[in-house]
Amino acid sequence: MHIPDGFVSPQISLPAYAVAAPLWAWAARRHFGRAAAESLPVIGSLTALAFVIQTIMIPVPGGTSTHLVGVMVLALLFHPLVAFVCESLVLLVQALFFGAGGITVLGLNALAMGLAGPLAGWLVWRLLRRFSEKVALFLAGWVATQAATLSVAGALGLQHRLDASYFPMPLAVTLAAMMVPSLTVAGLVEGLYTFFALSLVRKANLRGVAA
Amino acid sequence: MTGRRRFGNTLGHIVLPRLTALAAAAAVLVAAPAAAHETLHEVARGKAIAVRAYHADGEALAHAACEVYSPADPGVPHQQGRTDRNGWVAFVPDVPGTWRVKIIDEDGHGLDVGIDAGGPAGAPAAPAAGGMSSAAFVLRPLAGLAVIGAVFAALILAYRRKRTAP
Repeated sequence: MHIPDGFVSPQISLPAYAVAAPLWAWAARRHFGRAAAESLPVIGSLTALAFVIQTIMIPVPGGTSTHLVGVMVLALLFHPLVAFVCESLVLLVQALFFGAGGITVLGLNALAMGLAGPLAGWLVWRLLRRFSEKVALFLAGWVATQAATLSVAGALGLQHRLDASYFPMPLAVTLAAMMVPSLTVAGLVEGLYTFFALSLVRKANLRGVAA
Repeated sequence: MTGRRRFGNTLGHIVLPRLTALAAAAAVLVAAPAAAHETLHEVARGKAIAVRAYHADGEALAHAACEVYSPADPGVPHQQGRTDRNGWVAFVPDVPGTWRVKIIDEDGHGLDVGIDAGGPAGAPAAPAAGGMSSAAFVLRPLAGLAVIGAVFAALILAYRRKRTAP
């Protein structure tokens, strides 16, 4: 799902950094201050888990593969901005150690995978949890995947319109190639992961996690 | 009789060679444009650089769009096409320097890398690189986990020290 370095121009990557940077600063002050010290071991463990599950490729019929994001749990347990900061850290490590994504596109990838996805999932959960907590958790994970994928595809489609030399595929092609695995496989697995992981963390009754 | 022989000699010694030369010239003139439409081929082994794109799980970026940019003209693709079914793209560098290879899959995956095609004055190109040993394959995720763990451990320690500081 990550956009690699060189696929988007500064026309997109710089405004993305301009939006992401103040959000990083605000989220760090608000959610990673001294008051959050008790939650940090859980947040750190879930971030490490997200990093690991993002390296596991899930085969998709048709010869391609996809992977989970895994930070929806953080958004539901704490706040979407916590998920945003943690996913940004995961993306930074992936860019430095794996060559996945990249430094120039870090802001854009963080906004798509770390903010748009978890925020959409969090809103769905808030809306539906009064009807059924289990369904709301599953749908939060599913919607988060679709929102993140749509954001990445939209950014690449916009790049194609602005300057096709950076990304030669039109939006329709990218959208079809990204959304089919996302709707059919990645969203379902992310939904199940969100539901089971959150249920497990809540049952464990860990310090720093609200019951 | 003598006159007829002289005429025959003249035909044999002067006209025939000229006709032959004319026919040869015509053949060359006709052959030149014909040859221009002929497609020849040349086989040069060991001259191309091949790059393979694949995901961390080994899955190749098969039939993905690719572009190769020469260091002599970085703005215009030197070569455009698609990777083969195993994710390979090959090109023959005609100038030394760092060539840019961009491989773009429809789903947004891909890579944009610089490939060394030798330095100036015929310096040898860098040896093949990019493959990953099994040790590196295991160590990289561990290194990533260690970095994430270190960031959070540092934060927790910093807050604990502040709390215990007089």
